[in-house]
Amino acid sequence: MNRRGALTIAALAGTSILTGCWESADVTVHEQGKYKGRGDPLLDAKSTAEREAVLQKRFQLVQADR
Amino acid sequence: MARMKFLCDAERCIECNGCVVACKNENEVPWGVNRRRVVVLDDGVPGEKSISVACMHCTDAPCAAVCPVDCFYTTDDGIVLHDKDLCIGCGYCFYACPFGAPQYPQKEAFGVRGKMDKCTFCAGGPGENNSDEEYTKYGRNRIAEGKLPLCAEFCATKALLGGDGDMVADIYRQRVLKRGGRPQTWGWETAYKKAG
Repeated sequence: MNRRGALTIAALAGTSILTGCWESADVTVHEQGKYKGRGDPLLDAKSTAEREAVLQKRFQLVQADR
Repeated sequence: MARMKFLCDAERCIECNGCVVACKNENEVPWGVNRRRVVVLDDGVPGEKSISVACMHCTDAPCAAVCPVDCFYTTDDGIVLHDKDLCIGCGYCFYACPFGAPQYPQKEAFGVRGKMDKCTFCAGGPGENNSDEEYTKYGRNRIAEGKLPLCAEFCATKALLGGDGDMVADIYRQRVLKRGGRPQTWGWETAYKKAG
């Protein structure tokens, strides 16, 4: 019985591993026109205003005609 | 709010490909992918012109419009970025883009392309700024460092400008006024000139 039981469990485990019968429930449901990926710190509106001033200064410094 | 734009002044571009090299080096761009290219118009003909082309970070980006998994997003300053974890490599963005900006690192059987790669305006992608993961997937995040794209900053003749669209337009307008007009290598006169 013990041997048979062990064999049954091993067979079931083997079957489930081999068939890969596992599915992640963490699915991103697609919605048209909506980005649902990871966040980007550049999307932070607060930092955008500060960054704008820094980048404008940088543009004047490096790319403007002299 | 500033909108980040590239502009290449064809009168100044000398086809040195410095922008291409700068981009490749700064972002460790995958083999076989060029995020930026220099295109020559009327090559070999007197008066030929060159322009440096990459993603133009369109205001209404067609790549984003056709993406079936919506992996594109636009920052508040108008930079079009994408998430490689969402990209399925379908190639729709490549067909939609009029500039040929989206590119794929792999060419294998059954059309396997790999994750799409394109110019990020040196703004990296999703995730922590300038992390190893971001650098590996998208390249350097110079914007987060307060710098502008290296291709534009590297341009020896200042043909390639990249920054706040208003400032870029001001510079170009001044140049055009000084020259007394713009070249007609492309544009209305070229597109609709009478044959003969």
